Amino acid sequence: MSSSNSLSADVVIVGSGVAGASIANELARAGLSVIVLEAGPRIDRQHILENFRTTENKGAYQLPYPPVPWAMHPPDQGSPNGYLHTTGPDGAAYQQGYLRVVGGTTWHWAGCAWRYLPSDFELHSRYGVGRDWAIKYDDLEPFYYQAEVMMGVAGPNMDVDDLGSPRSHNYPMKEVPLSYGADQFRKLIHEKTNYRVVHEPQARNTRPYDKRPTCEGNNNCMPICPIGAMYNGIHSVNHAEAAGARIIPNAVVYRLETDASNKKVVAVNYYDPDKNSHRVTGKFFVVAAHCIESAKLLLLSADDKNPRGIANSSDQVGRNMMDHTGVQLSFMSGNDSLWPGRGPLLTSIIDSFRDGPWRSERGAYLVHMVDDNQVDFATGLAIAKGYVGKELEEQIRYGSSHAVRLFSHNEGIADPDNRLTLSKTHKDVLGIPHPEVYYKLPEYTVKSCDHTKELFKELMALMSGTDPQWTKGYFPQCHPSGSTIMGTDPTNSVVDGECRTHDHENLFVASSAVFSSVGTGNITLTIAALALRVAASLKKEMLHA
Amino acid sequence: MREGNKAGIRRLFLPAAIASGVLFGAQSARAEDQATTISRGAYLATAGDCVACHTKPGGAPFAGGLVIASPMGGIVASNITPDPDTGIGKYTEEEFANALRKGIRRDGAHLYPAMPYTAYSEIADTDIHALYVYFMHGVAPLRQDNPKTELKFPFNIRAMMISWNLLFAGPPAAKGDPQTYSKIERGHYLADALGHCGTCHTPRNFLMGERSSSAYLGGTPLAGWYAPNITPSMNSGIGDWSEDDLVQYLRTGSVPGRAQAAGMMGEAVEHSFSKLTDEDLHAIAAYIRQIPKIEDSQAKQPRDRFGVAVQPIVDLQKPKLDREDDLFPMDGERIYVNNCAACHGLDGAGAADHFTPSLSSNAVVGAPGADNLIMAIVNGVDRTTNGHHVLMPGFGPTSDVQRLSDTDVAKLTNYVSGTFGSGDHHVTAQDVKVAREGGPLPALVKDMPALIGAGVIAAFAAMSCLIWWFRRRTQKQK
Repeated sequence: MSSSNSLSADVVIVGSGVAGASIANELARAGLSVIVLEAGPRIDRQHILENFRTTENKGAYQLPYPPVPWAMHPPDQGSPNGYLHTTGPDGAAYQQGYLRVVGGTTWHWAGCAWRYLPSDFELHSRYGVGRDWAIKYDDLEPFYYQAEVMMGVAGPNMDVDDLGSPRSHNYPMKEVPLSYGADQFRKLIHEKTNYRVVHEPQARNTRPYDKRPTCEGNNNCMPICPIGAMYNGIHSVNHAEAAGARIIPNAVVYRLETDASNKKVVAVNYYDPDKNSHRVTGKFFVVAAHCIESAKLLLLSADDKNPRGIANSSDQVGRNMMDHTGVQLSFMSGNDSLWPGRGPLLTSIIDSFRDGPWRSERGAYLVHMVDDNQVDFATGLAIAKGYVGKELEEQIRYGSSHAVRLFSHNEGIADPDNRLTLSKTHKDVLGIPHPEVYYKLPEYTVKSCDHTKELFKELMALMSGTDPQWTKGYFPQCHPSGSTIMGTDPTNSVVDGECRTHDHENLFVASSAVFSSVGTGNITLTIAALALRVAASLKKEMLHA
Repeated sequence: MREGNKAGIRRLFLPAAIASGVLFGAQSARAEDQATTISRGAYLATAGDCVACHTKPGGAPFAGGLVIASPMGGIVASNITPDPDTGIGKYTEEEFANALRKGIRRDGAHLYPAMPYTAYSEIADTDIHALYVYFMHGVAPLRQDNPKTELKFPFNIRAMMISWNLLFAGPPAAKGDPQTYSKIERGHYLADALGHCGTCHTPRNFLMGERSSSAYLGGTPLAGWYAPNITPSMNSGIGDWSEDDLVQYLRTGSVPGRAQAAGMMGEAVEHSFSKLTDEDLHAIAAYIRQIPKIEDSQAKQPRDRFGVAVQPIVDLQKPKLDREDDLFPMDGERIYVNNCAACHGLDGAGAADHFTPSLSSNAVVGAPGADNLIMAIVNGVDRTTNGHHVLMPGFGPTSDVQRLSDTDVAKLTNYVSGTFGSGDHHVTAQDVKVAREGGPLPALVKDMPALIGAGVIAAFAAMSCLIWWFRRRTQKQK
């Protein structure tokens, strides 16, 4: 339990996902010394693939990543689990999946790389609900582009689809072609409705990029791209290490220490798997450990000077937990076959409800037609209907080519009662409390989900659909955000527009934790853009000091 | 250093020389306006692949700066843009010719044989002229000071290259106008004078002396790779390739069911061959198909005719999933399934449209040695021809897809060649390490101190061999 060695760097980063790794890469390339502390282990693609191939439940994205005891993570999205405890009326809808490994959760994302809309940053000013960010879209635009170049984002140029987020440059790569099913879906929607299906921007190669190959449509982006055609945080980790950053895996940070004035953080302390404690000092500190773990760490670091936790004079750390909690429907199309499961998981989206004056009343949303393999759904349905023998086989064949799966990202909104706390009853092997989240779906999001359900019924009718299977309740989208909310007022927010904590001048948070509103697009690109902006602030401050 | 048919070349070109009466440094008998000459010079520079060495990674073309590492120090490729101070702007045509053919700089100093002047010595006068006009008027002058080449004593005494040159001078210039040559003559000239084939495909002897014609294009190890036998032997060379196959390979780097170009051949295709005319590619192919066959008694069938699609039998029944940090050892088959099969197929058949090639009927997998298979796995394939970019990621120590250990690469190599190719070559982790670090060191490196002791000429011969050898390595690493 004693401090066995001393480690120090210009910048100490907690977390090696897309946020921490991209900051580490930028700073190491600028000649600064960087230590990245990652709670989880190093993993590699071939072993995760081996696990994926040998598991029968291909849709359980966390399963091929069985966690280590000292860095537990939830076993699966949407299942109760022994680590992330949820309570409240909609606790089941906050069973988020994420990974604690070197490279972070983007090992198993689907590559959706959205910019937020300008209105997403000004929700309160424009619609009188929720919160405004302390920055505007234009402040982030250059970093959005930098993040798109870093990850390699393929997206539609303005003349193909205008996605509503003004761009200074075209996407680094041409958009991912629509899969066969997505193309049929788009044609139908455009012919029969006023809704719009657009190409989804994806951090997935449509040409060789960054020495990684072109996507071949293996269709298992989640839980693991088998060929590295999709960006994973591990690529930024590799780049950062090549530039001289030091990554320490299996380093579970459990406490941040401040100086006598409490204005500055002076060190972080971590346990190794044997619970030996190590202290790491630095000039600047970045907590980039995912929305849930970042808030957990700040709360865990409570001491005499910071009784509610580090950076928590506002009592907002852990509050305002948001997601894109949505709804999900699977059904059998009565129209021509769509052959889902060919190509990348997601290539298109309905973005007709992403913004509008009604956002003063109800949340916006996006609709995905998920292009994953539907053999298991078709088989389950055919067996439930009592088919056997040759008829069963025919039904599976028919169903696999006709099944449709729709889900939505519905806009959450900051509500301080939706709150992460440290579990009083559950601790991990190191004695660190598990996270616990109280979650009640805000009325704003409930109304949005109700609207989505009506749309899903309309789409099902358009496709002469049968056998609707609604996912019970609401569907977690694993986009947790808001736990160290950004704002201009230190009394009701945790970080400022630079993602610097109001309380401690050398402490930054790089995570969706800082989001003041969650919009509708997947959160990763905004996390990366904010992280690169943190890196720019740090470079400016350290290199010109 | 073209070995083989030098006497033959002289005989062949003599009538043309008499007919045209070309003299050194004189204008071609055919009147060409300058624009035509520039464009011909540009084409010849492409055929000679000048850009490969005289451009540093990410640098301006021809501005030099590429550092060729050697145990004697770094040799820096010079700026060959026509900048008068840092480039070759003050060179007369005669001085230019001396640099190309004799390795003598404008100031009289001797170049190190990193510059392949022993090959370029064979370039015809008309082509020297076109190259000169191109470099003086078709390339924009760019002021770029490159670091000086500073070798360790005694190698920094450039004058001592004189003795080496006496021993190892290249063949004389080809006569006449190579544009008027017959197809086979033209192919011979392009293949040899501009230095594309023999440089890599012909084995070198200990002191780089003349090789006997019995080795010409017979195949040789090359910085971890293996430049194969490209003589028309049916089993050992490219005897089962048609002229069109060879042309397609040179133009695109890929002939499905036969071979794909990677490594230095991929670069040669990308920077040089893919930009040559159909006529010239056919000339090279036709020439290659009629050179003397060299038979390797070990080769019992053509290297691109091994193997059939084979589906591995992988046991999917595992009692439990392995913890994410348990990077347990896998056998060759599992390494294949988890790293290769997503693109090449479980059965190794590749994609139906050849986007990823088949591993059976593939010269790399069917080759008598595993060198190129190891190197393709470690370094991948990265080749752009006519705007078409082909990329297979490498699986070596800097891979962003999967970093395989040397042991895993060895197991994978043996599985792939054993299942789809010429058999299990029993490659070891040490073999993989040696290959990816640039292949076995020449005996010369080990003998260097003794050679220096033995005499200056021997030392310089040795040094030159090393420079030549490291130049090839550097081209690989670019």
